[in-house]
Amino acid sequence: MRDKKHIDRLFQEHFKDFEVAPPETVWNKIEDKLNQDKKKRRVIPVWWRYAGVAALFLLLLTIGGVFFNNNTTEPLPIKMVGNEELQTRSTNASNDNKIAIEQDPSETNNIEAINTQSSNKISSNSENIVAESTLSKTSTTTNKNESLLNGASNKKTKAQNILINSNKNQTVASNSEVKNDVSVSDKSKNLNEAVKNNTSQVSAEKAKTLINNASKDNNGIAEVKKDKSKENLLTIEEALDKTKDEIADDKTSNKWRIAPNAAPVYFNTLGEGSSIDPQFNTNSKTGELNMSYGVNASYAVNDKLKVRSGINKVNLGYNTNNVIVYQSVGVSSSTRSLKNITSSASSNSSDNISIISGENLNSGSFDPSNTSINQSFGYIEVPLEIEYTLINKKLGINVIGGFSSFFLSDNKIYSETESGSKTYLGQANNINNVSYSANFGFGFNYQVSKKIDLNVEPMFKYQINTFNNTSGDFNPYFIGVYTGFAIKF
Amino acid sequence: MFNLSLNQLIENCKINDTKAQSELYKLFSSKLFSICLKYSRNYAEAEDNLQDAFLTIYKKIDQFKNKGSFEGWLKRVTINTVLQQYRNQKVFDIVNENIIDDTEIDIDEDTISIDYLLQIIQELPDRYRLIFNLYVLDGYSHKDIATMLDINIGTSKSNLARARQILKKTIVNYRQNINLQSL
Repeated sequence: MRDKKHIDRLFQEHFKDFEVAPPETVWNKIEDKLNQDKKKRRVIPVWWRYAGVAALFLLLLTIGGVFFNNNTTEPLPIKMVGNEELQTRSTNASNDNKIAIEQDPSETNNIEAINTQSSNKISSNSENIVAESTLSKTSTTTNKNESLLNGASNKKTKAQNILINSNKNQTVASNSEVKNDVSVSDKSKNLNEAVKNNTSQVSAEKAKTLINNASKDNNGIAEVKKDKSKENLLTIEEALDKTKDEIADDKTSNKWRIAPNAAPVYFNTLGEGSSIDPQFNTNSKTGELNMSYGVNASYAVNDKLKVRSGINKVNLGYNTNNVIVYQSVGVSSSTRSLKNITSSASSNSSDNISIISGENLNSGSFDPSNTSINQSFGYIEVPLEIEYTLINKKLGINVIGGFSSFFLSDNKIYSETESGSKTYLGQANNINNVSYSANFGFGFNYQVSKKIDLNVEPMFKYQINTFNNTSGDFNPYFIGVYTGFAIKF
Repeated sequence: MFNLSLNQLIENCKINDTKAQSELYKLFSSKLFSICLKYSRNYAEAEDNLQDAFLTIYKKIDQFKNKGSFEGWLKRVTINTVLQQYRNQKVFDIVNENIIDDTEIDIDEDTISIDYLLQIIQELPDRYRLIFNLYVLDGYSHKDIATMLDINIGTSKSNLARARQILKKTIVNYRQNINLQSL
């Protein structure tokens, strides 16, 4: 054994300070590889975190914007406008949609039709009518234009042109606002001011060219923005690929999660009111238990913060209690029809059915009825939420906040008798196709393995812009306990 | 420019600073290349392994949390990189040989150069070479080695004994040849 030590020691002593400089070619190769990596990497780590979030945001707003443009043909009521942004957006929908063509080629036909229509109107009609028609469509911004017209009253035709141009200009601005582009809208505000100043002082001709140029500029900006957002999407795809690679090497960092979930959701309303008809304002309402299911994906920005989005199918519904439903013979159904229900034309039976609130009748003369109106509607929900980690152990606790966009997919109203038989009454005509909600909740997750978590997330979602014509104080919300599992990678 | 502390250098490497990466290479490439030479079959393979080791180091440097010696960490990463090569090549499936009792042989150290010792290490069968290096030159226990190479502790011990035997035999033969030549 002594000898063994000897040979060990022989090697140990010789190799103790053994150092050999590698040939220079090795570093050159390493440098090449690093540069290759950096070209990819430099774009990704900075971009994909923030651009990922920004792109999601853009995507949501774009989808929302498209829905708005398609479906809103008249200005939205003031109640849901709330702030100027929405107002401009609704204005945009009814106005000259020039930019929308560039942004969404699939809509070109529709919008072109509108375009020619509105430009014909403007060119053939007198100046006053133009001012009036825009006044009816636009709100606050038109006032500016009107005064602008008055100021330049001796140059009528030219002022008219300016009006058209400035309308276009607004469209540019509000359209890009939909895309969450603040800089463009700022710029167009400045331009509007410039229009004002110019028409009162400088000749209208000059102002016209100025605005034309400016609107060209805006077009350019809008296009550039579009390209950029495309780029973002691309880099995110690259980033996703890259993460896949990195996951293979680096198993410890599970930045991404995919979480299928299902939730019982309970819908109800705060305050007294009705989404169906004013006569039901005081009737009691019972929320209905429904289901929501879907999948969401989250990305951990850092140890504490996750950004998440996804897609959920959600059904909601509630009952308006104590109503009286009767077959009316010989009574014109139109006199009895409810304010916010469009009855189905094909169904003859519903035409003859009339509904009144039991509250309106003397309780003595009529037995209290258990008939109710059941309103149910379904949405595709796209949430964008931030998850902040309070405790990150085997059992983790998070606070969740954010908002959701809802796209209407289902919309029905039934009357439901005590015995349980249902009669289809029609569709609600006051549910917006796109609505939003403010979300708040807590998340509890239990770590089953390194790859899988179990989640329970009680969430409160306060709905915004769900109905456009409710009576009384009808503030819908829903509560859901989202349960599912998350796969980390 | 060049008097950055090691910690600062590490931090700069974590953010992929090219100058810091180059500086780190200058500081440690000789030490790590010696490891690669010992663990590899030949010089060319050692070059490739050094390249891979540094790429891994730059990639994983953000996992170094200033616990323990940085040089130790670099060596571990390098050794693991080399071992990974052999894991991928599945060279560990060699037949377990019977251990022959060690014979005592005197070694005349003066006649032996480091280049020669390196050469005979490199000429060892892969697993013997790795185990001999890990145990004798880099101070890993048989338990560690068993885990790192995914083998039994007994296998590690017997392979080490076999490695020593081969080395001894080679050295003895070498010495005899020299003696014969000098006669």
